[in-house]
Amino acid sequence: MHLVRPCTHNDVSSIESLVRDNHARISSLPRKRERLAERIEQSIRSFQQDASLGDGQFFLFVLEDTNTGQLLGCSGIAMNNEPKRPFYNYRMDEMIHASERYDVHTPVSVLHLTHELTGRNVLCSFAVRPYLVGSALFELISRARLMFMRQFAASFSDQLVVELQGVYGDEGQSAFWDSLGRNFFNMDYASAEYHVATKSRTLLAELMPVHPIYVTLLSKQAQAILGKYDESATETHNLLQREGFKPSPYIDIFDGGLVMLARRDKTRTFQEACVKTVRTGSVETGLQHIICNDQFENFRCGMVQLTDGLGEILRVDEAAMSQLRLDDGNEYYFAKL
Amino acid sequence: MMVIRPISDGDLSALVGFAKGSGVGVTTLPDNPELLEQKIFNSVRSFRRSQPKDRCNYVFAMEDTERSAVVGVSAIDANVGREEVWYNYRICKVVHASREIGVHTSNKMLYMTNDLTGVSELCTLFLDERARHGNNGRLLSKCRMLFLAEFREYFSEKIIAEMRGVSDQNGISPFWESLGKRFFQMDFSYADYQVGSGNKELVAELMPKYPIYLFFLSPEAREAIGQTHEYTRPALAMLQKEGFHFNGYVDIFDAGPVMESFVEDIRAVRESRIVSYHIDDAYEPSLGERTDFVASNRSMEHFRAVLLSESQVAAGHVRLSSKQADALRLEPVSDLRIIPLRY
Repeated sequence: MHLVRPCTHNDVSSIESLVRDNHARISSLPRKRERLAERIEQSIRSFQQDASLGDGQFFLFVLEDTNTGQLLGCSGIAMNNEPKRPFYNYRMDEMIHASERYDVHTPVSVLHLTHELTGRNVLCSFAVRPYLVGSALFELISRARLMFMRQFAASFSDQLVVELQGVYGDEGQSAFWDSLGRNFFNMDYASAEYHVATKSRTLLAELMPVHPIYVTLLSKQAQAILGKYDESATETHNLLQREGFKPSPYIDIFDGGLVMLARRDKTRTFQEACVKTVRTGSVETGLQHIICNDQFENFRCGMVQLTDGLGEILRVDEAAMSQLRLDDGNEYYFAKL
Repeated sequence: MMVIRPISDGDLSALVGFAKGSGVGVTTLPDNPELLEQKIFNSVRSFRRSQPKDRCNYVFAMEDTERSAVVGVSAIDANVGREEVWYNYRICKVVHASREIGVHTSNKMLYMTNDLTGVSELCTLFLDERARHGNNGRLLSKCRMLFLAEFREYFSEKIIAEMRGVSDQNGISPFWESLGKRFFQMDFSYADYQVGSGNKELVAELMPKYPIYLFFLSPEAREAIGQTHEYTRPALAMLQKEGFHFNGYVDIFDAGPVMESFVEDIRAVRESRIVSYHIDDAYEPSLGERTDFVASNRSMEHFRAVLLSESQVAAGHVRLSSKQADALRLEPVSDLRIIPLRY
């Protein structure tokens, strides 16, 4: 069966290949193996609730095919709550430059640098094997994060953030970057992204222009992609939209990509997830559901066939019960797929 | 003979004619008779010392005494931005650097300021085309230095002059095209005229107030920043010789440079001298004689200035022809202030 679990040290090379195969760049998952191993270590300690980690936990989940042992996808939650690592975004505001006397009315969009979203948990590190994009497993690995949040709601923020990949050219260049950030960083987008993913926020404080930016002064190409997302992120966008995420006035500071926001409690997974007693039983019919256990460190979330009737009891087959580490007679969260 | 005197009520029609001929970019001479009349009114009161000090505006007329015609004007505004807001862009340098990743980038930025509010401005220089010969242009400009030297306490310590910026024969300013136009949705000449007529609220309503990074502008616009229109280059050269320098302030519409100097550093002010004179009825300057000095009568209300030749000035004493003495309206017991015309 397919299940979602916290990543382990053994997953390094599989995650590395997932990141490599992914068209979009994933800034929260570095391509360099040592760096990636550090991220995985951070996740393992986060799942262990290692107090020495302080703030800034990062949870990385992987989707495993238990029959083959293959990893098919990964997804993450960044707590984004370290006071020393402010979260940078641009917020796009509109001003009206108008004169009654001269009958002029010009809407003027302005980008303001902001740390407003610091402290809101970020859904990140999302990658699947290309052939799974848009499938039920695609949904599973993404929504497993929300199931985890549902189970341990007190640990997470009320509002959630997702940064979608901005629009890229064939060579990985970003028109938004070329029109703005490049003038301050004096390097291409990929190099800047690498530095920001691997180094402290000091360099953002040092290099990002602090003054508001008039959108009309950006290049035409940059204006065209502002607050948009790359074609390769379409399915991700649609999935998030179904989940209840909304477009926001925030955009990524480097590639101008759309930032989507949601109130955690209004997401579909939160709204639809119910708790019922789970019992081992034979299941022949029913709909696909997501179900998760209640263990923080040994979290498991999987797709099972079950019938959610009027009663208080769900039947799950024995193999799934053991793989998902569900105990007969306990209550668990589940939601329709 | 060309004589400088305060402008008077009778000069309105001449001023209206100049405003029509001055073209785009001379914002202090708007083609609007009511405003020009107001300007004359203010000036007359200023020279009479009946205007509040912070609203003084002195307009000098150059009269061709043979034709009894005004052929040029120049002015000093004692206190810019008193009744309206005075805007300039300041060109700033912004450096972003990160030692950690070895980056050091330097960009230039335009920062909107009202820094020059309250300073005195040399403005409105206009000389009729037919009179653009000899030292007439110099006389028209330099008479203001004499006035400044004489009445320093009426002006700020710093004196500025805004130079007309770059525009083509159709009045198109590359700087405006790249910046202002995106926010104003109107032509440079129209916006410039409105603001020149005192409608500064247009700037408050429409102009971008946040700093502008120069890399956002077109190469032509960037090149025009701090550059002077070709017609204004002689005026710029003259100011530079007086010690005026560019200090990073430019016009917000066409990015023409603001030239600055402290009064005490203006060469004409520094080198001006007070001299005695006598009237030599037999003396008549020969036609076309080289002129080397400007002399004024040291009066405010009846300010007069004329050109003198070198041969008239010797050892702190000036020999005047009776015509010159009449033109200067000299009091029986008085002296003159003179400044050299060139250096």
